[in-house]
Amino acid sequence: MQPDLTPPVIRGENPEDLRLAVRAWLAAHVPAGWRAAMTGTDQESFVAAQRDWFAKLAAAGYATPHWPAAWPGGGRSLAEQKIIFEEIARADAPRLILYFVALYHAACTLMEWGTPQQQETHLPRILAGQIWCQGFSEPNAGSDLASVRTRAERRGDHYVVNGQKIWSTMAQYADRCLLLTRTGKSDPPQGGLTYLLLDMRSKGVTVRPIAQITGDDEFAEIFFDDVDIPLEDRVSEEGEGWAVAQSTLSSERGLTLVELSQRMRYALPRIGAAMRDSGRLDDAAIRAELGRLTSKVNALCALADQYLLRRIAGEEVAGDASIVKLTYSRVLRDFTSLGLRIGGLEAQYDRGFMRGATQETGNWLVDFMNSYNWSIAGGSDEIQRNIIAERLLRMPREPRSWQMP
Amino acid sequence: MSAEIGELRDSARKVLGGLGVPADGEKIWRHIIELGWLTVSVPEELGGLGQSLAGACALYRELGGSLAAAPFLPAMLAIDALCHGRLGSWVERLAAGDYISAPLAESELSAAANRLTGLASAVPDADKAGHVVLCASEGDCVALVPLGSPGVEIQRRATWDTTRRLFDIRLDGVELGDSLVLARGATAQALCRHLSTHLDFALAADSVGGAIALLDRTVEYLLTRRQFGRPLAMFQALKHRCADLKALTCAAAALLDDSLGRLDAVDDTDAALLGLQAKSFATSAYARVAEEALQLHGGIGMTAEYSCHLFLKRALLNAQLGQSNDLCDLEIAADALRPCDD
Repeated sequence: MQPDLTPPVIRGENPEDLRLAVRAWLAAHVPAGWRAAMTGTDQESFVAAQRDWFAKLAAAGYATPHWPAAWPGGGRSLAEQKIIFEEIARADAPRLILYFVALYHAACTLMEWGTPQQQETHLPRILAGQIWCQGFSEPNAGSDLASVRTRAERRGDHYVVNGQKIWSTMAQYADRCLLLTRTGKSDPPQGGLTYLLLDMRSKGVTVRPIAQITGDDEFAEIFFDDVDIPLEDRVSEEGEGWAVAQSTLSSERGLTLVELSQRMRYALPRIGAAMRDSGRLDDAAIRAELGRLTSKVNALCALADQYLLRRIAGEEVAGDASIVKLTYSRVLRDFTSLGLRIGGLEAQYDRGFMRGATQETGNWLVDFMNSYNWSIAGGSDEIQRNIIAERLLRMPREPRSWQMP
Repeated sequence: MSAEIGELRDSARKVLGGLGVPADGEKIWRHIIELGWLTVSVPEELGGLGQSLAGACALYRELGGSLAAAPFLPAMLAIDALCHGRLGSWVERLAAGDYISAPLAESELSAAANRLTGLASAVPDADKAGHVVLCASEGDCVALVPLGSPGVEIQRRATWDTTRRLFDIRLDGVELGDSLVLARGATAQALCRHLSTHLDFALAADSVGGAIALLDRTVEYLLTRRQFGRPLAMFQALKHRCADLKALTCAAAALLDDSLGRLDAVDDTDAALLGLQAKSFATSAYARVAEEALQLHGGIGMTAEYSCHLFLKRALLNAQLGQSNDLCDLEIAADALRPCDD
């Protein structure tokens, strides 16, 4: 069947009209049986499925609601974007993880900091399906980005880059990379960083996927060996990389957590199904746990929802996002742990894994292992706790007097 | 939050700010009457402020934050029952300070041949009340019972939480005055459920207010107290625990507000479920904050002089009022599992 790609044109009207339009579109277009198709499959099939889903969403305008109005699908308010994400969760549509960095990190960074030339070059390509990855973390700069050591040395009209990045999602498929490099001294610690746009096909770039504990390889290491990057691919000024990187990182919070918390709420019946499958529907201990989990998931959804509403109203304060992220990762761990407990011995057998899955698939040991993605990536739980304590509770930082021996 | 509820909250903060923690019951009660707080959720046509349960919860939250020792909640439950029953005309009397109590736990009462028998527990300040509102689950009846009636026996039950004064009320064939019966049959069942929901939300709000206030005090203490040449608040081991408690209190407050916001659009059964979730989550969160707060205070937390223990005792009592949290959780699970049972 040829998909109907006509975008519904609903703007500035009753937001519930948009909700119904998105709901109807998703009902007609979410690939049937995508979960089964993505289980035990290879990366190539996954990438093909992501490309197909991206093309549909982009054509309908639902991939770029956060872009300015001049762009197809763009100009949606944050409230409208929230509706779109809520409906995507409700429809249990595939997550667009292969394109997330391009659509959010790269696009938002370019819109805020890019030159008109950079925007004209890259934004249409992103809209056409170019894949980007993020080159921020390094083996010794995970949560502590100011310690970036990948060196960019200026030589005439280009930089020469040497070093290594790690934890770059889907880097093996990326066309371009948002690269944070060191061009000067780290004094202050955030100083001397420069933000570059790297063509992943440049000479001297090597990508090595990282085999994960689940068997998946969503992340990769990237090695740079005398890689040339032209000056015109620098974003903002030399030494301004920290500020640019901050806006890259802030483009992702909020909507993602609304979507993921809603997905978790819609996934609660998986716990009931697991209880039925293992004959434990009458197990009072498990029932009480499910009761507690249900309240926790609803509290998480309320938290994510109210956070986004505060953002819309311009009332967000530093540390608010950390509360939502930390709560999400903890509730997700509780959710997957309960599934694992109900799954019993059966959940210990390796049934493969689902590529590009949501966080709650009912393949409990894999879900449990994947839950660490959320308590480690994007600022670990420990970093979130520091932020909450220091920014929201005004507790002092620890002294920085200790020196590496 | 509506502007009216925001104003109500601000005025409550102003009044309570001057009364200290725990706030003296008699002083607060005078303010409660003077400021008309008892009518906050009474419909405007009955002379109230018409602010629904959300308005009441804004006050429960502030009163919880000051460990208020006044019987505001039972009086509010009584007024709610009267408005829903046929005695809206009594509202004025109650608002003026004529105290009617109501139990803060499920009663074991049966009504037969217009007589009420059984036990109502956790009735606050029953010695100061003229009447008590009682729900009989057997025989489906909600009635106002004068506490001087023959066959009524009240007994003080000293609680570790000294901010509440609880009584048991035993009834032995107490005759119900027809004019004081608020509801019978299915209407009584619905009214009982409504009052339980009100109680659950009230306990949730009290707990959210208490948890926030206690966490603030704990962080304040950690900032002041110095050990090993630095404020305790600088130790990451303590910061992380406080951060977890902060996230927990924020989640409890978010769930409470979200659930209150949904009440208008749902039926009684779903409203009850929202109340159970808010109650179980918020009272558990409060108990956890209180448990940690005492530990974080160290030795001084064990002294009667410091207020830590007062929060802890109120938190632990809140978790048992209404229905115990274990029963709440089982009910929530029963609803979640309904599709599987079919």
